[in-house]
Amino acid sequence: MSVAKILEIALRTGRVTRRYPYEPPLLTPEFRGAVKIDPSKCWGCGACVKVCPPNALTLKPAGKEATLEYFVGRCVFCGMCAEVCPAKAIEVTKEFELSATSLEDLKSRVIHRLARCSICGAPIWTEAELRTVVKSSPIAEEYYLVCPKCRKERFAKAAMLRLGAGSE
Amino acid sequence: MLEVSSVNIAKALRAIKKSVWVYHLNSGSCNACDIEVLDALTPYFDVERFGIKLVGSPRHADVILFTGPVTRESLPKVVKTIKAMPRPRLILVLGSCGIGGGIWWDTYSTLGGFKKLEEILRENGVEVDRVVYVPGCPVRPEAIIYGMLLLLGLVEQKSKRVEVVASEG
Repeated sequence: MSVAKILEIALRTGRVTRRYPYEPPLLTPEFRGAVKIDPSKCWGCGACVKVCPPNALTLKPAGKEATLEYFVGRCVFCGMCAEVCPAKAIEVTKEFELSATSLEDLKSRVIHRLARCSICGAPIWTEAELRTVVKSSPIAEEYYLVCPKCRKERFAKAAMLRLGAGSE
Repeated sequence: MLEVSSVNIAKALRAIKKSVWVYHLNSGSCNACDIEVLDALTPYFDVERFGIKLVGSPRHADVILFTGPVTRESLPKVVKTIKAMPRPRLILVLGSCGIGGGIWWDTYSTLGGFKKLEEILRENGVEVDRVVYVPGCPVRPEAIIYGMLLLLGLVEQKSKRVEVVASEG
């Protein structure tokens, strides 16, 4: 190709380079960026943790609290957590400028208070989850603060009494 | 061998602002991040606007573009390559695999991210002067450019550690 021909093509095409830091990036509507958890909506049920392929989301109980941690550095941006969230607390944003100089800056945490079993005192569910469950299906108060193990024991005791077992 | 003092390193880090030469190091990635690196080098994104140029040897490089979860097979070569780089060593860790191992975070055949590699490098007496992590799966070319500018200290870091307590009642 002659120089004149190349020049003609170049002039027809014009500039193709994106001036990225000085102009907005090209983001398609389908683009999935980092996930954002709304702490006012999240129950701490752990559905997102179960579905997350690379375990970027983790729910760790420690003492009186359970921490839902989101590590962007391991996220594969599949958006499955947002799909599965029953509270619609997870939102897929278009954020991609996530670079950081330390790994700690890539973590975001939502801290949940844990409710305790009224009989044995073991931590059961998060308080937010209990509130939501009670709101959607009112259960007797003596039930919802009892852990599954104690519930089973209580049921077994009641059934034995019904069958005529001794009271001692 | 020439001894490098910390004063000289600090001076060199301050001096690195423009025209860095990059070396692309693949430690067993799926090639998606590598294709995005090539994308960033094309005229469409044109990183040569910032003087960034791809070189073929780590001995010529200022920055290593590091991709992949560091497979066992590649580990000795990766350590050798980073050792061959002159001080100050700047590393741009690209993609979920490089940072936290991605979906291979607990596989037997990978190290699962740069953190473990950094420990191994330290054991071998290889010091890394500055690291910037660029999340993405794969990373966008724009994200690579942003990470590069952050590494050179030209833009402010956006993401920071967030810790929120869930609402009460």
